[in-house]
Amino acid sequence: MYLTDAEKGILDGKRGEIAQKCMQFLMAYGEAAGAERLVNLDGTVDLHPGQMWVPDYIITPEEIEALAARGERFKVLTFANKSTVPGFIFDGWEKCGTQPNSDPAFHRKCLEPLKPWIQMGMVPTFSCNNYLTASYWPAKGQHCAWVESSAIPWVNAILGARSNFDGCFQTAYLGKVPAYDMHLDENRVATILVECACELKTDMDYDLFGWAVGEAVGLEVPALVGIGKPTTSQLVKMNSAVATGGQVRMYHIPGITPEAPTLDAAFKGRAPKKKIVIERSDLKRVYEMMTYASNDNVEFVYLGCPHYNMVEVQKAARLLDGKKCKTPLWVMTNPLTYKAAQLMGLDVTIEKAGGTLLSGSCPGLLMGEMPPSAVMATDAAKQNYYITGIVYPKKLEVWYGTTEDCIEAAITGKWKGEWR
Amino acid sequence: MAGETKKIILKGRKVIGGIAEGEALVSKTALMGWGNVNVKGGFTVERNHPLYEVPFKGKVLVFTEPRGSGGFAGYGRTRQFGTNPAAFLYRKGNNLTVFAAMNMKVPTVTDFDQDPTAVIETGDYVRVDGDNGIVEVFKK
Repeated sequence: MYLTDAEKGILDGKRGEIAQKCMQFLMAYGEAAGAERLVNLDGTVDLHPGQMWVPDYIITPEEIEALAARGERFKVLTFANKSTVPGFIFDGWEKCGTQPNSDPAFHRKCLEPLKPWIQMGMVPTFSCNNYLTASYWPAKGQHCAWVESSAIPWVNAILGARSNFDGCFQTAYLGKVPAYDMHLDENRVATILVECACELKTDMDYDLFGWAVGEAVGLEVPALVGIGKPTTSQLVKMNSAVATGGQVRMYHIPGITPEAPTLDAAFKGRAPKKKIVIERSDLKRVYEMMTYASNDNVEFVYLGCPHYNMVEVQKAARLLDGKKCKTPLWVMTNPLTYKAAQLMGLDVTIEKAGGTLLSGSCPGLLMGEMPPSAVMATDAAKQNYYITGIVYPKKLEVWYGTTEDCIEAAITGKWKGEWR
Repeated sequence: MAGETKKIILKGRKVIGGIAEGEALVSKTALMGWGNVNVKGGFTVERNHPLYEVPFKGKVLVFTEPRGSGGFAGYGRTRQFGTNPAAFLYRKGNNLTVFAAMNMKVPTVTDFDQDPTAVIETGDYVRVDGDNGIVEVFKK
């Protein structure tokens, strides 16, 4: 991999030991990835605070604390994704009902290692969809280093900025990343035409459609036609599903996404390698795969994967208004939406119904620390499909359906959702 | 190897160098990480996967592509538990496979001249030269 003289200087230790270690990581990573050079980030970083992709190149908590203490800053604007500190819930932890998460001493212990990151400039957004509350987006064409299934298609496809799945301390500190894959023009061109032959109506339809597309195209770049005018909630759900059922980092919606004013522009005038048609029956097949339960006695309901936005929190609160839940119900949002929901009293509405509004985590990230249950229900394909692996070897049944189906299950304790 | 064993050579791109050999374990569908890789057991716990609970320890693990969460890098953590494969071969990857391979520290090759999941079958004997990106397959 080619390095500029300044980059070689960093590798030789001219900007200190930590910068040198960060550069050693970027070198090893870039070489293994087949990158030819580094690129300076002119966009943003989204990272999981506390996480190191490759522990051999760890920057230790003590080292980060020392950097923060001497006033060092991240080179580019950096947002916090969910913290990987085990058990960390940002808001509502006092009421979550599980241990050790609801213990104040435990919560303080989780917050402590995050402080130096914040001191260095990391915005404490603590969310898988921090881009919804970020207050600042990278512009089209800017180079970024982000993480998270639903966020990678957001940065590439929706914003037209450029990112691989590699946000981390090192990229934020040096403001550099190996220039390959999604950073290069040729890898962003559509290769597969995906035609949606059915009308996508509900948020769940977009979740199922995204999964079906992901499964069909893997790492390819699809152009999606016939998908209507997806809302923000629907795009976030679809993004989460394309990058779980498959590994879609980039797609085009001709006429909607910034790099595809037309279908022809999405393919840069080339012919698609393949054309795929998604029918209603494909959505039903994914729905059935997500229905991983036979016992209709639901014991726990989880909503908020990806973290619920304000429209979704409001919808959940309205469905719960004046009702009483028979099962524990978690509604998970991001910290800034939580604050706004509190001002609107939505946390109280949810609580009066017996549910809990939380922020900054999810059952998967909590390694299955959730209200004890053998049967759960959720409205997210991603959480549904991972949670059974996360609790392994424990057996867990998981129902999948619309938000309405899930809330009805929380109120009645019975699953009544079905394919409609 | 017996004289009549058919040998096929694949040429790919080095990700991680080194030499290794072993029996192949082939996944013709994508592999998923995070909660769906059990690092202590050294197998996938993705509920519908054909290789559910099939250990890959000591095998040459051949697969199509990664899918899903950044937790795919978790495949690399098998190294800490001694449940890691002997080598890691995949048709197409991205930085998630790269991070997994950097942590696993076994010979890793990708971007082959032929689809490795079409040429290699589970049970074939495979020699991997990671440094030169060369994979020799001895059909079972």
